[in-house]
Amino acid sequence: MFYIDPQNRCGMKNSLKVERAIKDITQEELAKIIGVSRQAINSIELGKYVPSTILALKLSRYFKKSVNEIFKLEEDD
Amino acid sequence: MKTRFLLPNKFKMIGWFLLIPSSILGILQIFYLTGSGLKFLDLEVFTIYSGSFAPWGSTTVVFGFDEVNLTGTIIGILFILGAVMVAFAKEKHEDEFIAKIRLESFLWATYINYAILLFCFLFFYGIGFMYVMIFNMFTIIILFIVRFNYVLYRSTKSLRYEK
Repeated sequence: MFYIDPQNRCGMKNSLKVERAIKDITQEELAKIIGVSRQAINSIELGKYVPSTILALKLSRYFKKSVNEIFKLEEDD
Repeated sequence: MKTRFLLPNKFKMIGWFLLIPSSILGILQIFYLTGSGLKFLDLEVFTIYSGSFAPWGSTTVVFGFDEVNLTGTIIGILFILGAVMVAFAKEKHEDEFIAKIRLESFLWATYINYAILLFCFLFFYGIGFMYVMIFNMFTIIILFIVRFNYVLYRSTKSLRYEK
């Protein structure tokens, strides 16, 4: 929608937070490794922001999991 | 991230140093000097078109020199330079998420700007509408700066709740 509000999800769920917990790294560390802002990682985890294909592939490369395993379509997507 | 059309981050600070004083001076000029300006800035300058209310009256100068007051000109130029620098300097950590906020804020600012202008078209007339036009030259970029920084601030604030 029109402004980014915590309740307002843009569709698609992801397991970024879980993957991060497995690797035991913070949002800040992940952001640094991937080369984005910490806000970006946070917003993706909260489901407020859908990353670009490039960013999704970078995350996939880092976690050594396919994009499909990290990001999943929701029923209404 | 590769970004097109954005200025380096250091311009943001320079921009604020131009924008804040020129905004204050601009408001002072409009309300307290009522357009007459500072006397020592009465100068003869080149102009493409300079005239008063009657479009082609006897005092009109086209492609020539005319004696004008430059107070508003200088304040306006400093304001525009400052505002553009503040609005379009990269963030320290410019990425695709910030690019999205940037574009959304621009859309938002344009909508709100024209909503305000539509309202003013209906309710301001005569010299009142001239003031509306003066302010409207600058509102779109101000709305953008306010909204963009507010959304950025909110997304930074929400970081505190997440580990």
